Amino acid sequence: MKRPSLSMAGLRDAVRSMPDDSLTAIREAALANLDEHGLPTVRDEDWKYTDLSPAIDISNRWFAAGATSTSTDSLAASIEALTSSIDANWLVIANGIIDTSHYEETAGVDIGRFSDNAAPFVLDRPLADLNAALLHDGLRIRIHAATDKPIGILVVDETCEAAVVTQVSIEIEIAPGCDAQIIEYHSSTGNNDHYSNSVVALQISKAATANYVRIQNRRIGHVQTGRISITMDTDSKLAMASFDLGGGLIRNDVDIDLSHPGADANFNGLYLAGDGQHIDNHTRVDHRVGPATSSQEYRGILNGRSRCVWNGKAIVHAGADGSDAKQANHNLLLSDKAEIDAKPELEIYADEVKCSHGTTIGQLDDAALFYLRSRGLDRQQATHILTRAFAADLVSRTPIPQALETITALVDARLAELIQDGMS
Amino acid sequence: MLEINNLKCRIGDTEILRGLSLTVNAGEVHAIMGPNGSGKSTLALVIAGHEDYVVTGGDVTYNGKNLLDLDPEERAREGIFLGFQYPVEIPGVSNASLLKAAVNAKRKHQGLGEVDAFEFLKLAREKMAALNMDPKFLNRGVNEGFSGGEKKRNEILQMAMLEPSLAILDETDSGLDIDALKVVAKGINALRAPDRAIVLVTHYQRLLDYVEPDFVHVLSEGRIVRSGDKTLALELEDKGYDWVREAASA
Ligand SMILES: Nc1ncnc2c1ncn2[C@@H]1O[C@H](COP(=O)(O)OP(=O)(O)OP(=O)(O)O)[C@@H](O)[C@H]1O
Ligand SMILES: [Mg+2]
Repeated sequence: MKRPSLSMAGLRDAVRSMPDDSLTAIREAALANLDEHGLPTVRDEDWKYTDLSPAIDISNRWFAAGATSTSTDSLAASIEALTSSIDANWLVIANGIIDTSHYEETAGVDIGRFSDNAAPFVLDRPLADLNAALLHDGLRIRIHAATDKPIGILVVDETCEAAVVTQVSIEIEIAPGCDAQIIEYHSSTGNNDHYSNSVVALQISKAATANYVRIQNRRIGHVQTGRISITMDTDSKLAMASFDLGGGLIRNDVDIDLSHPGADANFNGLYLAGDGQHIDNHTRVDHRVGPATSSQEYRGILNGRSRCVWNGKAIVHAGADGSDAKQANHNLLLSDKAEIDAKPELEIYADEVKCSHGTTIGQLDDAALFYLRSRGLDRQQATHILTRAFAADLVSRTPIPQALETITALVDARLAELIQDGMS
Repeated sequence: MLEINNLKCRIGDTEILRGLSLTVNAGEVHAIMGPNGSGKSTLALVIAGHEDYVVTGGDVTYNGKNLLDLDPEERAREGIFLGFQYPVEIPGVSNASLLKAAVNAKRKHQGLGEVDAFEFLKLAREKMAALNMDPKFLNRGVNEGFSGGEKKRNEILQMAMLEPSLAILDETDSGLDIDALKVVAKGINALRAPDRAIVLVTHYQRLLDYVEPDFVHVLSEGRIVRSGDKTLALELEDKGYDWVREAASA
């Protein structure tokens, strides 16, 4: 099958059909950039396992149909249900449009939009260019005092047209010494095709802490690419947990830049994939100075004909002595049709560093399965209990207590579904 | 209750049970003894439904049903309980959640509703107290980091909660200190009833001093080579297995 390429003419029309506003110049610059470089293909090392064809196909069809998206009352109902599932102060981006009506003004948090002060931002990655070219507006959040409730960002899409594309861009700055809690929650509904592309820039200032939870629970089959780029100042801390539960083709990029001493980045992820799902997590940590620590653990549970990728890159640059980088990736394959590519990549150019990595790919423990069955639990129930235990270890490390209950329930429900599908 | 007739089974290419017959009636306690590797655990696992063992001959009837047709979970729900020689550690699954799931699976099979959370906890605490088990064990992962003796006691706790009709206890006495042995024996005796049967696999007379068997069998090379009453165990203690083997081959 020939892989489609992004229709530049279609994209240009879509960009030019957007209102002429303070972001127009940026959109044009991004368009020109993209025109020159194009989107990544499987020939690019970083995209070897993930073919963006479905995203491109959806985009081209959306361009051809006039690049519009509409919503119905059910979108409002989704927003209502999702925002009440976790006790947070919610900013909503619905079908790519920022909606602050659910948000309660809070001391210590400034909310703005890119259009308020349209400073051109760095465009050096093709998906960021695509994002900037089609972005209605971006969200700027500055947190300079701790808040009672976490700040929630709900990205929700409803597809009414045959194919819809939405862009989300968020810049978050956590002021020096501040302890912040942020939840990024992606969800989608509708039977049609959808592609969401998000770009998040998180800046953690001196001695600040970011507790960050990311939930992706899109409709099975929907496409999402998302990048979070994190810069960490001296003595800052990151505690992040990501959960990929839904979607069809999912690609996440986490980039962490450690250019100041004393930074401590801890980020973990859980991905649950069933028939037809493809979930790719690419992480990259640049240790540019030491001492600084990074540690990540990703876990996956795969069933049916699914494919997941975990690629953890840690680069300890020359002179970054005292760096400590840990990586772990553990996978549970419930089906022999499921496939995982687990790839730790450590590049070390400094002395005096501590680095470790471990990956495992295994099946359910037969002895444990039999033990549970011998106690009257059927295979499905036993599988559910064992996979839940495997996931629970990561779930329990959710750094935002308010989100724990909902995440536990979502993971549990998705596991039940996955196992059920695999049995039939 | 349980009728095993000329049972043969193998694992891989190795034949382990080679024509084993045994009848266990309700109300009876049977002890199975025999040298290491003779097939005692294999027999227990085959009755529980372990799928690695391939039955190549014979039949097993349990309460009139063909036991070999049932999945392991169905056998459990029908009242068969196996106390494992080597209980499995399941980190991340709490003892309480396993017990509750097991009790509910059985209740569902009996057409009863789920056990009330409060009632369940009360019952579990009661049973644990009788076994001198700290209630803290409820919140620990199943057998996770348990000592050898604690694992065995945990098996008895599960048995006590599930109240099986047929309990097969595979070397539950091994690794128990003297006090624990008494406690476990008390737990086993508490289960004795006219409508229940117990099969004890053991190497030692010790347990049989506390739980008196109605029958003692010697299993050797995949067959029961001798059966008798409780005095057989004493005789074995005295003379060793060679005596039985010689008698059997004579
Ligand atoms: N998975 C297996 N693969 C090959 N051989 C096996 C396997 N499981 C059991 N066996 C063999 O079957 C035989 C019987 O084993 P079993 O565990 O039933 O003995 P046992 O009578 O319970 O011994 P013990 O008193 O030591 O517990 C042994 O020789 C053992 O090595
Ligand atoms: Mg044994």
